[in-house]
Amino acid sequence: MIETQGLGKVYGRGLYALRDLTLTIEKGEFVFLTGPSGAGKSTLLRLLLLQERPSEGDVIVGGRNLARLTRDEVQAYRRTVGFVFQDFKLIATKTVFENVSFALRVLGMPVEQQRRRTYQVLKWVGLQHRLNSIPEELSGGEQQRVAIARALVNEPHLVLADEPTGNLDPDLSLEIMNLFRDINASGTTVVVATHDRELIKWVGRRVLQLDQGRLAAGAEAPQ
Amino acid sequence: MTVLGYAIEQAWVSLRRSGKSAIISIGTIAIAFVTLGGFLLVSVNVQRTLDRWLQAAELSVYLEDEVGDEARASIEAYLRAQPAVLEVEFITKSRALERFHADFPELGDVTESLNGNPFPASFEVRLQTGPAAEAQADDLARGVADREGVADVRYDRRWLARLLAIVTGARVAGGIAAGVLMLGAAFTVAAVVRLSLHARRDELEIMQLVGAPFSYIRGPSIVEGLLLGGIGAAVAFVAVGILFTMVGRWLGPDLAGLIGGEELLFLGVREGAILLLGGLAVGAAAGALASRAVR
Repeated sequence: MIETQGLGKVYGRGLYALRDLTLTIEKGEFVFLTGPSGAGKSTLLRLLLLQERPSEGDVIVGGRNLARLTRDEVQAYRRTVGFVFQDFKLIATKTVFENVSFALRVLGMPVEQQRRRTYQVLKWVGLQHRLNSIPEELSGGEQQRVAIARALVNEPHLVLADEPTGNLDPDLSLEIMNLFRDINASGTTVVVATHDRELIKWVGRRVLQLDQGRLAAGAEAPQ
Repeated sequence: MTVLGYAIEQAWVSLRRSGKSAIISIGTIAIAFVTLGGFLLVSVNVQRTLDRWLQAAELSVYLEDEVGDEARASIEAYLRAQPAVLEVEFITKSRALERFHADFPELGDVTESLNGNPFPASFEVRLQTGPAAEAQADDLARGVADREGVADVRYDRRWLARLLAIVTGARVAGGIAAGVLMLGAAFTVAAVVRLSLHARRDELEIMQLVGAPFSYIRGPSIVEGLLLGGIGAAVAFVAVGILFTMVGRWLGPDLAGLIGGEELLFLGVREGAILLLGGLAVGAAAGALASRAVR
C-alpha cells in the first residue's frame, strides 16, 4: 500500500526532517509511527497527504508515485485518503452534520446521497444525537469523533492520523483508538503518528520508530 | 449541488460577509465604468455627427463672377467625368443668396445693404465614399482649382479628416484612462476576494485535504469577482443614464445645436454590452487572479 524509497525532506538550509527513509506498509495494515518530537512523524504524514512534496526519493501509495502527480491528480489521490489531526480541524460555524457532509458536498455528490452517507458514518462513531451541535458545544473526544467521521465519509483506502489523541484524556484516547481499530478491521489501512507509548502497547500493532528523520535501529516492534 | 450552484452560494455569502469592503470595491468599479460609459456616450454622439458630416461632405467649386458659359460647361464636364464624383449640382448666384436668407434670416439686412449679390455661383459636388474615392477626391480638388473660371475650391473632407484624427486620438487617450481605472478596480476586487479567501481559510484547507476539485475551491472566488464587477458595471450604467438625463435637461439644447440640431443619443445595446460584459470580465479576471493564492 505504502512504500518509500530513500525518502528525504529538507527544509531551509540543509535541515533534514526526513533522511533516506525506506519503509513499506502493507494494504490493510495498522501501523504506528512513533518517536520523539522532531523525529519526522508529522513530516512523513504531510508527505503522504501531499501537503508537501519530497525533496529526495519516492513515496509510492497504491502503486502511484506521489512525487509525480499533477495538481489535479493530487486532489483525486486525496479523495482516497482520510485524515485526522490533533486539532480536529473542524469548521467552527458548521454543525456536526455539516462538517461531515461538507467533505462530500465539495466533491459534487448528490444531496440525498450526502445525507444518507453522513448519517451512517455519524451513527457509526456514536454521534447521531449531536447532528445539529456546533464544534464548541462538543467535548474533545466528540470533536475528534466528528473528525474521524469526516475522514471516513468518503470511504478512503487509507486513513492517516497525526497525534489524534494528543488533546484527549486517557479514557477518550482509548475510545478513539478503538474506532481506528474498527476502521482497520473493515480493511482500511491506518497509519497513526503518536508518541503515547501506553496507547501503542494497548493497541498492540506494528510500530515504526523514527529518530532524526530516519528509521531507528530495531525500530519495527512485532505485532 | 453542482459546482456552479456551490460557487454562486459561497460567493453570495462572501459578498454579504465582506460588507463595507465589497461596497468600496463595487464603488471603485462603478467609477471606472462611469468613466468608460461617459467616454462611450461622448464617442457615440461625436461619431454620429462626424459620420453625418462626412456623408454630407462636398467639394464646393466657386466660380468667378465673369465666367462664361463655355468655361462653366467645361468645368461641369470635367467634374462629371471624375470617378470620385457621385453627383454635381450647379448653384447660381441668386440661388446662393436665397439659401443664405433661408439659413440666416436674422442676417437678411446685411445683404440688402450691399450693392448687388455678393455670393458666387458654384458647383456642389457629392463625392463617393471609401479610401480610394478620398484619394481621388484629393486629386480632383487640386485639379479643378487650376481650371479657368474657378475662383476657389472648398473641400470639407480635409478638415473633417483632421477632426476625425483628433477624435481618434482622444478615443485612444480615453481608452487608456479607462483601462488604467479598470486596472485599479480589478486590484480592489482582487483585494476583496483575498479577504473572503482569508475568512474561508478553514473551509479551503478542508476542501484541499478532502480532494475537492479546483473548480469547487476556486469557483466561488471567480463568481465573487464576477458579481462585484457585474454589480459595479450595472451601477455605472445606471449612473451614466442619470448623468445623461441631467446633462440633457441642463445643456441639451446647446449640445444639440453644437451637433447639428439632433437629439443626443444614449448608449446603444453594443455600448451597454461593452460596459456590462466588461465589468463581468474584469471582476472574474480579478477573482481568478486572487484565487490563484489557493494551491
